[in-house]
Amino acid sequence: MSHDINHNPDTDAGWSESGGPAEWWAEFEAAARRELPLRFRYAFIHTYKPVMDDADYRSFDTTADYRRWCEENLPDWLGYGRF
Amino acid sequence: MGAFEYRQAEEIRDTFARHGVRYLFLGKSGAILLGFPDTTQDADLFVQRSESNGLALVGALRELGFDLAEPRADEIISGKDFVQLKNGPFDLDLVFAPDGIEQFDDAWQRHVDVEGFPVCHIDDIINSKAATGRVKDRESLPRLRSFRDYWMRKNQPGNC
Repeated sequence: MSHDINHNPDTDAGWSESGGPAEWWAEFEAAARRELPLRFRYAFIHTYKPVMDDADYRSFDTTADYRRWCEENLPDWLGYGRF
Repeated sequence: MGAFEYRQAEEIRDTFARHGVRYLFLGKSGAILLGFPDTTQDADLFVQRSESNGLALVGALRELGFDLAEPRADEIISGKDFVQLKNGPFDLDLVFAPDGIEQFDDAWQRHVDVEGFPVCHIDDIINSKAATGRVKDRESLPRLRSFRDYWMRKNQPGNC
């Protein structure tokens, strides 16, 4: 599933009053009906992230240092690079 | 390491409360607590930076089972901006200076309580994600902004 990230909800037809595709609104409503423990079970997953998961501890003096480290060390497909 | 579980979130909530740690759930884990239906891997905690809070945090993390010997504990107490823990029962990112949020106290003023979990306001979650400039956040922002509109409407006074 993909969505136009550049849409304008004020002018684009076919979008819900919530400012997104109507199916998103339906998903939000469905999630709101679930108890919190069930929402957790659906939301949290674990997959191995190369490099990121290869150390048990990292610390960075600044958040900018952390962002830079991610850009320089993580595979692009993980999405931690800047656009 | 398995997926982060609800009971582990409860352990954070209850242990941090006992130790008096000032923190907020941030990022997608915070949004999920607010009701956002999406997937994520770990929990991001925005922690108030102060020596006393750092000491409380280290005590709470040790009780939860994180391996924090002195050099690492000192880094947390002294307040690094970002600490990534994968040496305990679950993965945890400690964020002391998130992008897009100026002060912890400001975020605390706006925070939302979800069944005892202190969570950043959806606007702060969106602002922090927008400020990172990361590809993965850019992709999730349109749906998150749509959820913000839904959540704000649902939580207007008088709405149940």
